[in-house]
Amino acid sequence: MEKELLVEVRNMSKNFGPTKALKQVNMKFYRGEIRGLIGENGSGKSTVTSIIAGMQQPTSGEMFFKGKAWKPQNMVDAQKQGISMVLQEANTIPDCTVAENLMAGRFDEFSRFGFINAKKMNEEADRMLESFGITNIHACDSINQYAFEDRKLIEIVRCVSEETEVFVVDETTTALSLEGREILYKLIHKLKDQGKCVIFISHDMDEILAQCTDLTVLRDGDIIGHLDRAEMDKPNAVQKIRYMMVGREIGEAYYREDYDSSHSGEAALLIQDISFGPIRHFSLELHKGEIIGFGGLSGCGMHEIGRAAFGLEKLESGSVIRNGKTIKTPLQAITEGIGYISKNRDTEALILEGSIQENIVLPLLPEMSRRTFISPSEERKRSDREIDAFRIKCNHGKQWVNTLSGGNKQKVSFAKWTAKGSEVLIMDCPTRGVDIGVKQAMYALIARMKKEGKAILLISEEMAELIGMADKIIIMKDFVKTGEVMRSADLKETDMIEYMI
Amino acid sequence: MKDNWIKKHIYDIAAYAGLLVTLILFFVFSRNRLLYNATTVIQTAAPYAVLSLGAVFVYSMGFMDVSVGQQVGVYAILIILISNALGGTTFGVFVGFLVVLAIALLCGAFNGAVAVWLGLPSIVTSLFLMFFFTGAQYLLMESTGINSISIQAAIKPSDRNIYTLLLIAVVALTALVVFYLFKFTKLGKYTRAIGANEKTAVQAGVNTTKWKVYAYMAFGATVALGAFLMLTRTGSAGKGTGSGYAMDIMICLILGGMPLSGGMLSKAGSALIGTFTYILLTNDLTTMGVSLNTINFVKAVIFIIIILVTCRKQTNLLPR
Repeated sequence: MEKELLVEVRNMSKNFGPTKALKQVNMKFYRGEIRGLIGENGSGKSTVTSIIAGMQQPTSGEMFFKGKAWKPQNMVDAQKQGISMVLQEANTIPDCTVAENLMAGRFDEFSRFGFINAKKMNEEADRMLESFGITNIHACDSINQYAFEDRKLIEIVRCVSEETEVFVVDETTTALSLEGREILYKLIHKLKDQGKCVIFISHDMDEILAQCTDLTVLRDGDIIGHLDRAEMDKPNAVQKIRYMMVGREIGEAYYREDYDSSHSGEAALLIQDISFGPIRHFSLELHKGEIIGFGGLSGCGMHEIGRAAFGLEKLESGSVIRNGKTIKTPLQAITEGIGYISKNRDTEALILEGSIQENIVLPLLPEMSRRTFISPSEERKRSDREIDAFRIKCNHGKQWVNTLSGGNKQKVSFAKWTAKGSEVLIMDCPTRGVDIGVKQAMYALIARMKKEGKAILLISEEMAELIGMADKIIIMKDFVKTGEVMRSADLKETDMIEYMI
Repeated sequence: MKDNWIKKHIYDIAAYAGLLVTLILFFVFSRNRLLYNATTVIQTAAPYAVLSLGAVFVYSMGFMDVSVGQQVGVYAILIILISNALGGTTFGVFVGFLVVLAIALLCGAFNGAVAVWLGLPSIVTSLFLMFFFTGAQYLLMESTGINSISIQAAIKPSDRNIYTLLLIAVVALTALVVFYLFKFTKLGKYTRAIGANEKTAVQAGVNTTKWKVYAYMAFGATVALGAFLMLTRTGSAGKGTGSGYAMDIMICLILGGMPLSGGMLSKAGSALIGTFTYILLTNDLTTMGVSLNTINFVKAVIFIIIILVTCRKQTNLLPR
């Protein structure tokens, strides 16, 4: 069967100042395919798709859509003509209803004499949500009451209509709950069956292999190669793709290799019978040199436990104790040697509009302050040491964090706590949106921290990561601990899923 | 890279360009009255400079304070009343200043703490203080039964040049202290971090309540000093004293390149650059023969141009 060409990109380049994000790229997208794009951060996958979707203009090159030259003015224009894209970042309008968000830009259809028929609009919005199989979101609710994961689904619904011919999903699944992912997978397969084209960007290799019909690997703004379904099904496909992405053998050592879950008997952190919000009577003992993993669907309460252990939640009863001291505020937590890496990297963990150095030394300032004076040269020294140790890709420590790629940003939030010398680390989704090269480095770091006797609370939505790294995995569902499994070589994701759902 | 540098320093570039232009105009139009004009500018600018320097701590957190003007008015009146009651002695002035300083620190603490405890935007508590001090100013003046009261003690050197030099010394000293606190201590680093991302600051162990209070108290101290400097120049105070200061300070800081949203780009230098740009601008316009009535319109136009230039950031969004 001859596949029908839908979108073609010819000799496209895109420069950001001296950085060449795309180098003379040629790509073809056909009807009836789910095309995966994979590559490390900064490989150009988001750049090429955002140009196709009208978000930015190429520096040079041509595009064709349905045989005609394709020059979208902006994203709205592109969407009207049939190419839409869901972005990595949250893109809903706060303080509005779900329906208003869904129908943004389409109010005219529901208006008469300048008045919006809200009832009609809400009904239409509910109908849209239902057609996607989304039942827990209601059109007339305020968007603020929905979690990030649900808002992402709302964005998807807004993007896809009957006119959509090409649907670009840019690393959206990391932001979705498990149910949300299922809905998205169903949707992209439906679009594929309707003879449309889906461009699917993800860092998750398993997901790409499970969902896509074709795969293109990018590296440093170049196309490295294509794989069709048959090649993707070959047993060594994962190694091959990783090799293509990174350009070197990544080796087998990815997660921890040992199955030695021994640790010191000395408690590093005690969570004693805490209750707050929907969490009731939760207890946990974390020891020196132990990695405890927390797994579950988002919204199961594991993130909240992490926050509570760092003194970010007001407890109704119970206490968090380290070194015999009760932890009630982040300041006390840090003083007692606890570090916390928030899952909301860009909004909580980092000051984006601040330099790498300012971010790294922020928790260190009290100890650096000598009779109120904080030496700029010491600040630089402490931060440069971490920049070197983590190999943060930057020109210098004064560079702003928002100019870094996702993986390097995450290195900065790790660096804060290693610089501080924290003995207990609470990591909430530490590898979210990070490419495999950086992931590997972080896993190695976590394994080393364990050997150094640090205690780690690893909260993650990726089960493979928990199985690969944790000595003990606690699984939560609906704010209650439902299961606990110990590290072993034959532990499988299915062993945990039954506790989660 | 070059493009980035410009984006990152757009505030500074605009600010220095503004100061340069007003300075050139100043030299051109002052001609033979240069020295006299210069001393006038310094005398006018001194209280503004001190107030703006203190305000840097508040603005760097992305907050603002609208109660300054009325506070300045009340403090000036209080210093006069107290020192006059104590027989118009230098000691009386000293006592008056201490009382005012205490009140100013208290108001600063109030401003910072209440905003945190009640979860209000800090501008709301400063609005409360503004109304409160407006009332206080009125009551104080009503109690005297006259429209304007003068200080009996001699607080201004009779020699114009010595007075100017003293003012320069006070401003320089304040600037040094503020620069030190803002650049090399936790106070400045934390206020900037709070402005840039309060959540990150909290998670990095910053007790934001405490540092907000400190920042407002630091501002309070300069409000007391600024009120005193203003009083040395005028020697008297009334119902209208200080009105408009809050907005003038905001304009000074913006002209000096302070981002309204605060954050890491905040610089203490903004206060000095902005104040002198603002005062020089007024002076230039006067010496250029622009009538007093039209000066405000010209200022408005210049102000909006500066805002347009500096707010064209990467995002094309106004500061929050």
